[in-house]
Amino acid sequence: MSGYDCAAAIQDVYQSAFDEEGRDPAFWLRYFNPSPDADIFSDDAESECIAAWASGGHAVGCISAPVPQSLLSGSEAEGQADAQAFCASMLSAWDQVGPLHLPSNNQLYCWLDQEYDTSLSLPYWTGWALYIANYNFANLKTYPLYPCVYCTPSSPFANCSTFAQTSGLSIPEAIWVPVPEFCNGLADPPSWQAEECASGSKVTTKLWQYREEGVCGLSAAVDLDVGAPGFNVASYCMLVVSNP
Amino acid sequence: MLAGGLGAGALIALPDLSMAGRQASTSPLSKIAPAGQRYALLYGTLPKSSSGGQIAPAVTPTSKAKPLPPATPVAVSLASAPVLSPDQSSVALITVNSVSGGSAVTLTLVNSSTAAIEAQGTVTVSGTPAGTNIIATPVFATGTSTIAVVLGITEPTGHQPAVKKGTGVHFDATTWQSHHALAYFDTSTGAFAGPFDLNNGPALALHTAAANTSDLFLWTTPEPQITAVKGTASPLPTVSVFPLGAGTPRLTAPALAPWPGHEPVVTLASGDVARFVNGSAVQVVSAQNGDTTQTAISALSARPAKPSSITMTARPDGTLFLVKPGIGRAVIADPAASFNIKAQVDFPVPGVPAGGLVHKAVLSASGETLYVLGPTKTGGLAAYDVATGKMTASFSKGSISYTGLSLLPSGNLLAVTGNNPRLAYFSPTLEPLATANSTLQIAAVY
Repeated sequence: MSGYDCAAAIQDVYQSAFDEEGRDPAFWLRYFNPSPDADIFSDDAESECIAAWASGGHAVGCISAPVPQSLLSGSEAEGQADAQAFCASMLSAWDQVGPLHLPSNNQLYCWLDQEYDTSLSLPYWTGWALYIANYNFANLKTYPLYPCVYCTPSSPFANCSTFAQTSGLSIPEAIWVPVPEFCNGLADPPSWQAEECASGSKVTTKLWQYREEGVCGLSAAVDLDVGAPGFNVASYCMLVVSNP
Repeated sequence: MLAGGLGAGALIALPDLSMAGRQASTSPLSKIAPAGQRYALLYGTLPKSSSGGQIAPAVTPTSKAKPLPPATPVAVSLASAPVLSPDQSSVALITVNSVSGGSAVTLTLVNSSTAAIEAQGTVTVSGTPAGTNIIATPVFATGTSTIAVVLGITEPTGHQPAVKKGTGVHFDATTWQSHHALAYFDTSTGAFAGPFDLNNGPALALHTAAANTSDLFLWTTPEPQITAVKGTASPLPTVSVFPLGAGTPRLTAPALAPWPGHEPVVTLASGDVARFVNGSAVQVVSAQNGDTTQTAISALSARPAKPSSITMTARPDGTLFLVKPGIGRAVIADPAASFNIKAQVDFPVPGVPAGGLVHKAVLSASGETLYVLGPTKTGGLAAYDVATGKMTASFSKGSISYTGLSLLPSGNLLAVTGNNPRLAYFSPTLEPLATANSTLQIAAVY
């Protein structure tokens, strides 16, 4: 199962992505607050859901990309504040669009963008992850949010070593890792060979970003992503169940 | 060394090359300011700092010329990244501690020339329950002795047994609610006024703030509330304008999306305040009436797949320097002329356009030269003539990929990378001058 992530609104990139790939995505991964250098999904959730419906990729996963990334080296209070805004942004999008539903398995993966050269401190991650995991989304009492991380395990900066110090609800539910070298298209993604945290880690790689803009000579402003074998990415995203 | 607090950050003072030959001080926090010398202040995390590890001194930088004095630890357990004063003479540090009956927020002003503490004060937020988290933002008001401190206070409001329905995990669920308060620190007296509770909860703790010579501008967002029927529009932020020292605003006006949350913000020469939003537009709030006008910066409208470390800084001539490394472009825009682009430099997208330190490109003091991190293939650094947009110098060695770049007051550059030697000094013509090791995982340089 493969799809796109993008910092622009879905309606602004779908056509160019389709023109290059010739195929609909199975899912989208979009940015929510706080992500200062992105179009925010919840700022016009209805238009984005209409575009997602039209694209055939009815699942919308959720990313937050705090910038400056030095924030991720910060305190528990900073992590909690960023997570609070992320949760509110997801709730706002859900509330705006009637046909935008939580996943039926009650597991919405919430991705924190940790770039290669950023150290993730344990206090920041703990504050972020526990707010996400404790969030009583829409007062439904299902606690459907799960903290996850986009990161590069081979980076010399702290990520997997931070996860090794976590426990309980602050253990990341999944990580999503980038490798830009593969230029396979949406219809023919490369065989799964994503990086993992060290053997014995509590954390599993479930999503792989295998093509980044600029590497493969393509122009559509999307990255391509593929789920781990047996992992249905769309099942852990919000779902547009009908045309808004 | 400043210590204590609930934070994770540490600050180390690294000497600039202008300090070569100076004897290592036995009292690095001395208040005697060596004329014409200043430190680069490094903020970041130390190995195992989260579990109470001790600061490890950085190795003395190695230089082609005279030896440099050693780096000096300044602070640990900082609650947030330091904030540099507009004249770059000092940085404001925040530590937060739980105290009997509340939370103590301490602001420490460190002189960037001496690494000495030049002023310090503490304000106590009373009645906060155990588990309260506070994010504090110091805001310098140019031309005044006032530093406003915005407090985003998040308190636990309930605990209940709960089950995560998706995985069946039982846990004790905590709910939190946030509001804001203001305090004002007078650097001339060392006294705090406040805190003034804004009674604006439930709100999101994240906020954006800036000040001119008379007012503090504060963007906040109400926390979205659940309604019985879906279809509610996203709440919009508001911007409130507080006379410096006041706990009530002289005006509050609706603001535009997006919600405040780490976007670059500067005070304009006019006294109005601008924030750089979505990496493609500037919103200006009128100091007179709080009205917001938004201008799309067409030169920055391109949107790559991933966000990058956007920056916006005010220049002495009133123009703004905006960088969007994700598209490989820096511009100088004139807010007094509808953000007309006065200069534009295009460069290969840096190898590290988003992670690590926020500054991927810096402008020389004269505004004539742009320094930028090199692309993935070559790494290193490059210099461009701002007037022509042409590259004038470059440095590359073994495709070392730097994560951030700072311009030191001496005119030299300090580049940072992930592995030791983490720090590299360069001349204005990109001649390598010195390197330094550090145990600090560097997140920002001041």
